[in-house]
Amino acid sequence: MRQQPNREIVETLRRGDPQGCARLMELFFDRLVNEALNVFHIQVEEAEELASDVLLTVVQKIDRFQFKRSDKDFHVWVITIFRNRVRDYLRQKALTTGLVESYQESALEEEGAYGRTEREVVLAILRRHEESLRAEEPDDPPPTNQNERRLQDIVDVLDQLEAWERVLLRCRALDIPYEEISHYTGKSVKQLKVYHARVKKKFMNLLALRYPELNHEERSR
Amino acid sequence: MKKDLVDLLLQLAYLEGSISTRGLYEKIVGKRVIQHVASVDVKRKTLARLQQALNQRVDNAEVPLTIGMFLQQIRTKHAVAASELVSRLGISANHYKMLENDRLSPVKLPSTVWKRFARLFNLPLQELSEMIRRTHILVFFRPSFHLTLARYDARKNRSMKKAALQRATEQLYTRANLSLPTKEEEKLQALIDELKT
Repeated sequence: MRQQPNREIVETLRRGDPQGCARLMELFFDRLVNEALNVFHIQVEEAEELASDVLLTVVQKIDRFQFKRSDKDFHVWVITIFRNRVRDYLRQKALTTGLVESYQESALEEEGAYGRTEREVVLAILRRHEESLRAEEPDDPPPTNQNERRLQDIVDVLDQLEAWERVLLRCRALDIPYEEISHYTGKSVKQLKVYHARVKKKFMNLLALRYPELNHEERSR
Repeated sequence: MKKDLVDLLLQLAYLEGSISTRGLYEKIVGKRVIQHVASVDVKRKTLARLQQALNQRVDNAEVPLTIGMFLQQIRTKHAVAASELVSRLGISANHYKMLENDRLSPVKLPSTVWKRFARLFNLPLQELSEMIRRTHILVFFRPSFHLTLARYDARKNRSMKKAALQRATEQLYTRANLSLPTKEEEKLQALIDELKT
């Protein structure tokens, strides 16, 4: 059994050995496609293309990678590249078809758990995100602090929740199993499952309070 | 699978770097059960794409332009510690650090160091002289383009673009073979002549 599979991949790729590509595919391709499909809800063809692009970037930039702590560093590096690719994919979507439109097609219409105001709040945040992306086009790359600022409402509302509630929401959004969350929060799996929907509702209510104009519309109707 | 409004928002915030899971997400990805297996055809195409990129990478292995790039490449490819190179070259750690970042002109170090350098890395004299020349040009002209970059940077939030611009400018300066002022050219020539003796 291989003790350090990632070190072997990195070394073979650096040597220019095609075996490295085969091992890289074997370890990561299906995994990345599954993440794109199941967690970020990307269509199959696009998910496969995205995973392929991620591995291509890995091969092209392999010389820049360095192990700092353990064999797992490489896995974290690949996932970081994947995360950045998904972010770029969503930004592209925001600039072309629009995030609001793409989410409305598949998500917002089906969603029965939230009221009209809550949906409008989400749409308002998504629209603002799209606008800020458009404003940065065409030649300026989005500076990190500005990205952070435009999603600040989400961060601020999370800060209003209890620590375990924050962990629960952040982790479940990325489909991290309840069992893992349980280790970090000290709550039982059963409790977490029961509270998840309530905490989401609480989050949405707090978020809606930040958009009084949308609440007012709802009331007047 | 059903999408949820809160999850969508939090995913967006995660991808944009506003929130984090402190490494938990990365850890979990490796443990998940794979539900969808891509077709053999897709995998074959991807593998061919990766192998092509790998071959190109080998063909286009970057030729180091400057002493700094050369040292960085040596350290990355052969996993050599900086301290080992410091002792083998017989220079101070500070000088080494400045050399590796192309912050020190080679003319500031005696020719004996460069002779040792050539022997250590088995470098032909011609190649070393060219690297020394390009490094000296880069170090000499750097303040002038840093002034330009500083003016550019005065406009807010340009740090990412500035870094890319700086890399491109450095490459341009080192490739451009610019003519140095007479005094600088003489200093450089004196070092190269000393290396030949």
